[in-house]
Amino acid sequence: MNLFFQQIINGLTLGSIYGLVALGLTLVYGILHIPNFAHGALYMVGAFMSYFFMVDLGAHYWVAMAGSAVVVAILAVLCERLVFHPLRHSPPIHDKIAAIGILLFLEAVVQMFWGSDFRRMSSPFTGILNFDGLIIPEQRLLIIAGAFVLVVALQLFLRKTMTGATIIAMAQSRDGAFLVGIDANRVAMMTFAISGVLAAFAATLYAPINLVYPAMGHLVIMKAFVIIILGGMGSIPGAIIGGMIIGFAEALGGFYISTSYKDIIAFGLLVLILSVRPQGLFAKGAH
Amino acid sequence: MLQLNHVDVCYGSFKALTDISMSVDTGELVVLLGANGAGKTSLFNAISGLVKPAAGDILFEDKQLNGMKASGIVSNGVVQCAEGRKLFPEMSVMQNLMMGAYVHRRDRQGNRKRLNEVLELFPILADKANEPAGSLSGGQQQMVAIGRAMMSRPRLLMLDEPSLGLAPLVVKQMFETIRQINSLGTTVLLAEQNAFAALKIANRAYVMENGHLVMEGDREAMLGNEQVRKAYIGA
Repeated sequence: MNLFFQQIINGLTLGSIYGLVALGLTLVYGILHIPNFAHGALYMVGAFMSYFFMVDLGAHYWVAMAGSAVVVAILAVLCERLVFHPLRHSPPIHDKIAAIGILLFLEAVVQMFWGSDFRRMSSPFTGILNFDGLIIPEQRLLIIAGAFVLVVALQLFLRKTMTGATIIAMAQSRDGAFLVGIDANRVAMMTFAISGVLAAFAATLYAPINLVYPAMGHLVIMKAFVIIILGGMGSIPGAIIGGMIIGFAEALGGFYISTSYKDIIAFGLLVLILSVRPQGLFAKGAH
Repeated sequence: MLQLNHVDVCYGSFKALTDISMSVDTGELVVLLGANGAGKTSLFNAISGLVKPAAGDILFEDKQLNGMKASGIVSNGVVQCAEGRKLFPEMSVMQNLMMGAYVHRRDRQGNRKRLNEVLELFPILADKANEPAGSLSGGQQQMVAIGRAMMSRPRLLMLDEPSLGLAPLVVKQMFETIRQINSLGTTVLLAEQNAFAALKIANRAYVMENGHLVMEGDREAMLGNEQVRKAYIGA
């Protein structure tokens, strides 16, 4: 029984990380209709920035996380201003090509500074908690708690502040938002900044139990896309629940079937769920 | 108050508006008549800053509107209530109304006062305050759309086809409300296909055809014009 609960904890950990990455992706898609493939690169840069602040500058883990969030938020806003904003009247394929271009560019830049080696990032939370035989590493607990806090904070920001309301308004009716005088540029920059912060937090939380390397965003972004398609493009609850579904499926599938198949389980689930509900779990209509 | 000089609007190679020159004076209720595709919405969108004119000047109280951002135009008091309402469907009626006050978001007291005035115009919205705007009937949604526009404190309110798709009784109430809004001091530019009802409450009217202004006159002249009666009133 303990082994089962162990997998539940693993599923929650993975689901929390996937959910955070997918949240940023779905916010950008839901509001600006940009499928930001470069989001995986922002996640990767987030991990490298934390690594840089901790290892090279000797900063504390929390300071490194905050520093990384600021850098990635600025980077995300720059992507919006310098690349996506000038393409706003172009055919949608241009956004996709540009996003892949940013992904490759950021990976090349990181490789230039840090090389393509795998690196390990430490964290002050190295202890292991034992609850009557159920073993939970502190870092995993931090990931689950951190994701919970971030999701609640994001919801409060979106529901309780005027700036958050402008983001929701833009997602529900772009024309309506223009008509009431909402500045679309401000909302676009804000949305990209939030997605960058979420990616940096997710990467910094996950890096200590994983490795840091330039291609680390590839699989995460693929799965984040699976999650937002599964949960419904642009849906915030869809991203969180979808992240948990994929996280649990991978953890339980990897343990009870085979770890070799754990990555394919996400894509198998996508096919299965979209066969029954083509618009995804939470979207009101197909996009 | 509003002055358009030789305005052209193009979508790629298609010219939607050609050489539009018109004016609206303070306190007036001016109607823009025209069939579908005549260019009424393009004209409204050009004034609102949603499309850029290819040529010409748009002046509001001697301030140049072309080149200004849509948000700046709303802040200057030119507010559009668009065709199709463009509400925030999952937000409540109250949230929709309060989003209308976005450009005045720091003036909470002023917004409360304005909200009371809007709820006096549309009392039913007070009962529906917590319901999602998308769940209301067409007429009630139109009330939310006009109410939201009024929350922006327009000095010039542009209404694009507010009677479209509404039941005849609701249309009658809608025009009465528009007349009331105008009589309370808001200048109104109203695009309508329901020419008879619109002309009854208007001071003046312009007629648009294929992106051109083809006629202009006061209410009596328009109601008495045989061409207008045949084309738009059907009598």
